[in-house]
Parts: sequence; structure tokens; C-alpha cells
Amino acid sequence: MMRDDRIRRLPMMLSALVALALAVVPLPSVLDALRPDLLVLVVFYWSIESPRAGGLTLAFFAGIALDVIKGVVLGQHALALTLMAAWATYLRLRLRVFSVLSQSLTIFAFLTGYQFILFWVDGATGNPVTSFSRWLAPVVGAVIWPFLSSALSRLHER
Amino acid sequence: MVAFRNSDSSGRTTGLLLRCVLYSLLALGLIILDKRYDHLGRIRRLLSIAAYPVQVAVESPFEGWNWFRQSVSSRGALRADNVRLQAELRLAQFRLQRYEALEAETQRLRGLRDNTAGVSNRFIVGDIMDVDLDAFRARVLVDKGAGDGVFVGQAVLDAGGVFGQVARVEQLTSEVILISDPTHAIPVQINRNGLRTIAVGTGDSSRLKLPYLPTSADVIAGDLLVTSGLGGIFPAGYPVGTIAEVKRDPAQSLADVDVRPAASLDRSRELLFVWLKPGAVLPAAPSAKAPAAANPASGAAAAPRADAQPAPANPAKAPPAQTGANDE
Repeated sequence: MMRDDRIRRLPMMLSALVALALAVVPLPSVLDALRPDLLVLVVFYWSIESPRAGGLTLAFFAGIALDVIKGVVLGQHALALTLMAAWATYLRLRLRVFSVLSQSLTIFAFLTGYQFILFWVDGATGNPVTSFSRWLAPVVGAVIWPFLSSALSRLHER
Repeated sequence: MVAFRNSDSSGRTTGLLLRCVLYSLLALGLIILDKRYDHLGRIRRLLSIAAYPVQVAVESPFEGWNWFRQSVSSRGALRADNVRLQAELRLAQFRLQRYEALEAETQRLRGLRDNTAGVSNRFIVGDIMDVDLDAFRARVLVDKGAGDGVFVGQAVLDAGGVFGQVARVEQLTSEVILISDPTHAIPVQINRNGLRTIAVGTGDSSRLKLPYLPTSADVIAGDLLVTSGLGGIFPAGYPVGTIAEVKRDPAQSLADVDVRPAASLDRSRELLFVWLKPGAVLPAAPSAKAPAAANPASGAAAAPRADAQPAPANPAKAPPAQTGANDE
């Protein structure tokens, strides 16, 4: 049992680390606003597929890592990610039997909620970002979700 | 929250709800602690050391590519570069000949006026790291941190002019906020006639604006803007930009002035961190500054502190003075 858990944790940590690095890879400024929140998608995947292995602890610490590496107020991404991962974990049984399209739509709702919490904390701490392009990332995230989840499930099952 | 209650396997869902609430409260607590009080600085610094390998790993392929490109550049290109650089150096040395004399004269004149505001004293050079921080804010990560004596609020220049100021310091890196960030304001004066005002960022790295000039102000396209030295953050007399366009609408009381920054905000790779000269003091009437500017106390305190060996802990207390929205 213990060993089983540990085997599952390795791909989880690995995918989270890669996604964290990709969150700060330099992109041309046109593409920068379109950058999907990969780490968030990875956390959603593990919340849905194996909530026992990581769950909210993974979500919280992934959020802290994002806060540190992006240099924003500590706890902002952690709060957003924890709440949305809890929602995803709650809906996981339904999500697993959804069609690809409805899965993507649900993920879009999660990502929008995530952005909204970030937006709210930004405003509450006095650094409002009111540009509309910040709402593009959820769209891109929902579009790449099917590809990401199939890639991750291949990694997961190996 | 209500939705969590009516679930099938109630034990698990309660646990989920409990952990969700716990972690959310923890995150909220962190936000409040980090924003309101200064207690998290040390923790942040430790965490940032842990994040440093990730940043270096992200940067290394780009660094490697640059290195590769440089090492395979042809002899002809190197020779051309060399000729160009020598020509530039000659020109710079020619300009420098008069610099010493001019500086002495400036100091004497400033002494007469009892004003030695912000003459820079010491530099270190930092490299911008190839790491994207946030798509919506004009900030860059630089590879010099508290270990090198960098402090919050320090002025940062590039070869062309004023680049920005240090917004946050970690042990090995620091975050510089560009003068083009919408939350950044810098006290400037027009070189031609000494008119003082504030230049505010727009979020566009090729444009600043001067929102506080009346329509009747004496400003024309092509005027050079230099730092005024008020506020105690930026040394006086460094170029900030040139006036690109002045729009005067008779119905409005304020003119609409666009400025083209002198620093190449989106192309520079090397930055200069500046320390102000010891004993540099502010002129007595800093209240002429605009709403966005610093409170005079912290500005004045920052200048003498910056002189000798800027202990990282000390100046870090002073908030980045001109980032108005940060303080708010």
C-alpha cells in the first residue's frame, strides 16, 4: 500500500515540476497573455484521477511555489488553487464519465474561477490588473485539457 | 459550500471540506501577513533560494543558445564589432574628457544652492534573467540580490537612461519594476527649462505619459526629460526620455503628453544598480511633488542609508517610494 502510493507520487511531482518551470519560460509578449496555466491543469488532473495521492496538499504547495516564482503576494495562487482543486475533487466521479467536450467546459469553469480569485486578490492587495487578456488563459487551458489529460494518463499508467 | 454536504460517501466529503477550509484559511492568513506586515520577508527569501534552481533551469537553454551563437560568430563579424566598439569608445572618451571638470563645476554650483540631491556614487552591473514573471506587469528578474547589497527602492539604469527601481529583493535575485509599469511614477524635469513634473508608466514599454501638466505648460515635442532627484530614489540628471507628442485640448485643463523612454526597456540585458553619494540630501521643499510621490521622510531616509554598506535589512524596510499603488 505504502509502496503503491509512492510509485504514484513520482509522476505527480515530476509533472508538477515541469509545469512550474513552463510557467516562467520566456515567451514573446504576444503569446505571453495566451500562456495556459499548466500547473493548474496538472493539479486538476491529479485531483480528479488520484485525489488520495496529492489532493489539496499538492494544490496548496503548488500554489505557494507559483507565488514565490512569480513574485506576487504569498498565498494568492495557493488560495485560488486550493479552492478550485477542492471543487474538482468533489466533482471527480462525475468528471471521469463526462465526454471530452463537457470535461473541457467544466475545466474552463474551474480555470475561470481560478482567474477570478487571482483577480480578486490582485484588487484587494492594490495591484489591479484590469486588462481583458487575462481571461484568455482559461480558454487556452480548456482547449489543451484533452491533450494534457491523455498525455498525463499515459504517464500515470506506465 | 452547501454542495459539499449532500454527498454519497459523507466521511470523505467532510474531510475534503475540512481540508479545503483549513488550507484556504492558511492561504488567506499568508496573504494578510505578507501584505500587511513585514514578517514574511525571511521565509520568502528562503523559499526563493529553493526556487532559484528552477529559474536557472528555465534560463539555461536560452543562455546556452546565446553562448553557442556567440561562439560560432564569424571572424568578419567579430572584426566589424571590434571596429564599431573602438569607434564608440573613442567617442565616449572624447565626451568623458570634459566630464570631470563639469562634475566639479556642478558640485560647486549645487553647493551654492545648498542642494546636492542624488549624485550617484557606486554601481554594480546585473544581468536580466530570461524568466517571464507576469504577462501583465512590467517587471524583470535580475541576477543580483541582497547578497550583493541591492536594496528595495534602489535606482536601476541601463545604457540609455533610467530603467526602473528595485521592487523586491531576494537573497540571490531581485525584481526590478520598469518605469513603464502602470503603477510606477518617477519625478522628472524638462532639461530645457527645468519644469518639474511626474512621469507615469502606461504598461506599454515604448511610452510614458505626463498626466499632471497644464495645457499652458511650456513643453514641446523633442524636449529631453531628466530625473529631478526629488524623492531621493533616483539620482538627478539622468535621461528618462524625450517628449514624443503633446496634445492640447482647449476644453481640458491638463495636456496629454507622451514620452518615449530613453532606456531600451524591452531590449536591455545589462542593468546598473546605483548607490547615491554619501551625504546627499534632499532639497527642503519636497511637497512640490505630486500625489504619487514618496512621503519625504522615507525618501530622505533612503538616501544617506544607501551610502556606505547598504545592509540589506535596513533599507528593505522603506517601501518602494514611487510605486504609488504598492503603498496603497
